[in-house]
Amino acid sequence: MDKYDIIGKSVPRNHTKDKATGAAQYTDDIKLPGMLHGRILRSPYAHARILNIDTSRAEALAGVKCVITGNDLPDIKFGNWRLFTETQDETGLARDRVRFIGDEVAAVAAIDKDIAEEALSLIRVEYEELPASFDIDTSLGKGAPIIHDPFKNNISVVRKVANGDLDKAFSECDYIREDVFNVHAISACYLEPCSSLAKCDPDGKITLWTSTQTPYMVQCLLASALGMRENDIRVIKPHVGGGFGAKMELRKWDVCAAFMAKKTGKPVKFTLTREEELATGRRRHPMRLFSKVGCKKDGTLVAKDLKILLDGGAYNAMGPTATFLCGNFGLMLYKYKSYRFLGQHVYTNNPPSSAIRGFGSPQSYFATETQMNLIAEDLGIDPIEIRRMNAVKTGDVIPELSTIGSCAFSECLDKVIEVSGYHEKRKNPKKGRGIGIGCYSFISGGVFNWFNTQYPFSAAEIRAFADGTVHLLTMASDIGQGSDTILPQILAEELGLKMEDIRITSADTATTPQADLGSWGSRVTLMAGNAVIDAAKKLKEILFGAVTAHYNLNVIHELECKDGRIFSQVRPDKGLTFGQAVALAQKFNRGVPIVTRGSYTPRGMGMVTPAFSFGAQVAEVEVDEKTGRVEVKKMWTAHDCGTVLNPVSVEGQLEGSIHMGLGYVLSEQFAMEKGKTLNTTFLDYKMPSALDMPVSESICIETYEKEGPYGAKEAGEGLVGPTAPAIADAVYNAVGYRCMDMPITPEKVLKGKKDSLN
Amino acid sequence: MKHLITLKVNGDDYTVACDSSRTLNEVLREDLGLTGTKLGCGDGDCGACTVLIDGDSVSSCLTLAVSCEGKEITTVEGLAKSGEELHPIQEAFIEKGAIQCGFCTAGMEMSALNLLKKNPSPTEPEIRTAISGNLCRCTGYYKIIEAIHSAAETMKEKQ
Amino acid sequence: MGLSRFDYYAPETIGDACELAGKLGEGTMFMAGGTDLLIKAKRRLLNVSAVIDIKKIKELNKITFDEKEGLVIGSTVTLTEIENHPLIKEKYPAIADAAAATANVQIRNMASAAGNLCNAAPSAENAPVLLAMGANVTVEGRDGKRIIPLDKFFTGPGQTVLKQGELLTAINVPVPPKGAGTSYQHISARGKVDISSVCVGAMLVMKGDICEDARIFLGAVAPTPMMAKNAQELLKGKKITEELLQTAGIEASKECKPITDMRASKEYRTLMVAVLTGRAIDESRRRAAK
Repeated sequence: MDKYDIIGKSVPRNHTKDKATGAAQYTDDIKLPGMLHGRILRSPYAHARILNIDTSRAEALAGVKCVITGNDLPDIKFGNWRLFTETQDETGLARDRVRFIGDEVAAVAAIDKDIAEEALSLIRVEYEELPASFDIDTSLGKGAPIIHDPFKNNISVVRKVANGDLDKAFSECDYIREDVFNVHAISACYLEPCSSLAKCDPDGKITLWTSTQTPYMVQCLLASALGMRENDIRVIKPHVGGGFGAKMELRKWDVCAAFMAKKTGKPVKFTLTREEELATGRRRHPMRLFSKVGCKKDGTLVAKDLKILLDGGAYNAMGPTATFLCGNFGLMLYKYKSYRFLGQHVYTNNPPSSAIRGFGSPQSYFATETQMNLIAEDLGIDPIEIRRMNAVKTGDVIPELSTIGSCAFSECLDKVIEVSGYHEKRKNPKKGRGIGIGCYSFISGGVFNWFNTQYPFSAAEIRAFADGTVHLLTMASDIGQGSDTILPQILAEELGLKMEDIRITSADTATTPQADLGSWGSRVTLMAGNAVIDAAKKLKEILFGAVTAHYNLNVIHELECKDGRIFSQVRPDKGLTFGQAVALAQKFNRGVPIVTRGSYTPRGMGMVTPAFSFGAQVAEVEVDEKTGRVEVKKMWTAHDCGTVLNPVSVEGQLEGSIHMGLGYVLSEQFAMEKGKTLNTTFLDYKMPSALDMPVSESICIETYEKEGPYGAKEAGEGLVGPTAPAIADAVYNAVGYRCMDMPITPEKVLKGKKDSLN
Repeated sequence: MKHLITLKVNGDDYTVACDSSRTLNEVLREDLGLTGTKLGCGDGDCGACTVLIDGDSVSSCLTLAVSCEGKEITTVEGLAKSGEELHPIQEAFIEKGAIQCGFCTAGMEMSALNLLKKNPSPTEPEIRTAISGNLCRCTGYYKIIEAIHSAAETMKEKQ
Repeated sequence: MGLSRFDYYAPETIGDACELAGKLGEGTMFMAGGTDLLIKAKRRLLNVSAVIDIKKIKELNKITFDEKEGLVIGSTVTLTEIENHPLIKEKYPAIADAAAATANVQIRNMASAAGNLCNAAPSAENAPVLLAMGANVTVEGRDGKRIIPLDKFFTGPGQTVLKQGELLTAINVPVPPKGAGTSYQHISARGKVDISSVCVGAMLVMKGDICEDARIFLGAVAPTPMMAKNAQELLKGKKITEELLQTAGIEASKECKPITDMRASKEYRTLMVAVLTGRAIDESRRRAAK
């Protein structure tokens, strides 16, 4: 018999009927009476001083209702790292300087989009062009242009980790290897371009519908950017067409929409074009990684010295977190006696980098995993064996950071090697074919509170009804990953109800309980899930009391919720339906509704995360040796995400990760020319199509994570990490080209291949 | 130049006055309120705006509304028979977990319909080709392919 | 960004279309599928003041074939119709291959081969095979009709010999000579649905093992689709061996004049011309033998 009624079942997602029929509303689908359409004027220069802006002709155009520039907005900087105000480096529109091609300079609201567009062409901006930097070398070099005045060396964030005596550790090594890796930027490519719609009530209070992963952060930051109070801003997250990390900040069009709605008294909507998204949108950090690793002859790792320079682009965005995390990922898979990390976040005049699925891990693991293969090859050790012997285990302490509560990394390795036939294929290679490995560990939400929230990290409210239903309210944001399904699923299990007994309202800052930090870092299932369980426990206490009183049960009886009933475990006949119990409890309270609240904040959990996930992935590729084209034939994945709450959802996340990982290593990149993005369409920014996807086979190795709801932890985000190194290793295995600079292109394969292999 | 045109969308006639340069996507979304059809790129590369015109899938973002007069337009809102009875393609998308963020869904379903009308028993490579003009960032396409397979089976049984 | 404002007309005869185009003058564009035109209008790459939609002209929407005149593809016939046409698949398989390799399903359901030619991108997928098969295009205007050999049609990127107000009404492809085999080869460096970095169309006329005639055209490696003259000459009168097709490929790569852009470098394109020309010759030979 199954341990659970609904946990572990692939219940279909909530809202999928709406989405399948086209009824689901995304921000741009909302149309309010009298609504104005906003457009943004962007900088054509990578770095320039704004000398003058003349908006008079735009304002005179019939149909234009509002034109604003940076000086119309309060002079208040914002950014997600509220705890460290010096990192907050953005304003609603550029004030005196532009720092990348596409930097927002002015905004127009008009009665239709065409008029707004025409008005943009009538704004005259006088710029004085300044020297610009398009790479970290220039930014760090002598005489570099200073991009933000307080940071004379262009380094905006420094992160250091130092465990053990590094020099001593290296002196104990039989073998030391130093490598430099370069990884590039990609777009999140969420299908829904950013959109934001603001309405201002006559009393000055603002409602903002926006395509965001973090309504609470947007609420707080928008309030501060406009000099308003938090409670004067209501942020509602409608359906969101994907975010992948790149929709977790207050964005300038949010500020403009709200400000202009207030100014005009009419709703104002901004929706970006794909061209704007690709040319100016958030990107994954390009990084240069210097990695020095030392080990014993037998492959036992001893010391690691990792330095990472991040090309942050023109603003910090989520760069500080990426700087912090990429250093953590540098030591999450394997044990080292001593580890040192130095991360430097460098300003350039490129479009800003930010969080994109994996948050520093795809870059970090590309280096770690490629280097593991290089070491194994140098020492003549099997690449799997060297991983197994150094792999972290349950209970291992990551110095100063965390203790690993559950870990099936080694089991994942064993399983993926077995199902993929890795060793057999390595031994008997076919011409042009290759097989390779990559591994990862990931976080289940962060415990760092750089946003400086004054509320719990996640919260839930349950309202119980006498008709046997409940209403779950939470600020957790479903952006396509499925939290609007998983959270009711957890609640249904707790209360012994069915999915259809639960109504969910989520991600509306005015009606759902404070607060939730949003959907990023794979935090929602664990944190909001725990908040739901906390609220459910409190509700059960009330209902159990009612049933106990009704039957005059001995107070030592344990009660249970199952199949819509609440009953004594030892006397199952002594029980009421869920609705009867609610009715009774409510009567006891003379009609006061039964409402409970729960929350979760990770405490005493170290510096990184409450729980770590793990996994290993094998890729098999076929390389056309004449054209250099790489075709990925199959991916095998074994991963440990704790208890699998909803298998189809977990698989869906994993499969999406393969898509993004494959694009990252083989086809997606920006063609840049002096800070200008040349490929601004999906024709030339190449994310994989259905024809490019390999066969995928995956296995979940279940563990029980005691910090997670029903033992669950992160699933699907971290998996974007191993794909690139696995494919790169397979390409090496096929034709002898070892990729150290992402991405792999046919041209690089042709140049780097060795004819003798396979 | 403004034209007074009548569009037949999901079997209903709508008369709208529209400029000749307006796309079908704009008229569907903004004038008719049929926002199930999305706009993902505006260049015919992503497929989120796919609708059927006289039975063929097209990018509504690259179709002039005026050119559609007298043609049968089917959008995602016209797929289901009623609020209660969904089209087998929709059922399969829900059932198989083919929907995550949902932004590509309408276009995917319309591409699936274009395929299954012409080829009731598609092979996997045929399904992949049929949706290769529909980009999805969430699913890796696996469950979408599975859903189209499954819908094909259901549709054959129903016939 | 929305489309620029323009007027719209949908005449029902070729005569009316040409008359209208002549009357409206500069800035008037004929539109079949519109998939290239509207993108150019949106990006303001073309100054479009009027669009003449030719989809309502019934006689343009036809595919015909006879053993004397060969194949005629009307200028509103979509790529999907070409890709799936049984007779084209049988007698002109490389034409179907090129149509099927163009863009994606939705675009192929809208766009025409004629429009692909008129757009005159250096990478126009449907040009090389048609050129290799000696196609002509029929062009009509107010002053009458003219037939233009396709190899005289392109004058530069986005440029053709079409005069303002002239409408391409049909693509005419001769009956393939006895013993002919054709091929379309293309490579896109990054994904399977992609714009070609290099494409090659070939037609070989074989007598047994011997190549009697060869026509090879390269796309995306010069301002217009170009003939690989020396490679062709090298094949004529010879037995096609593995070595010869490689040599011919290298010869073709010496003739091409590619540039570096965001899709591929000059060096990579040059290498790929050699590879794809070899593959095109090989497939043509095999198809001829069938």
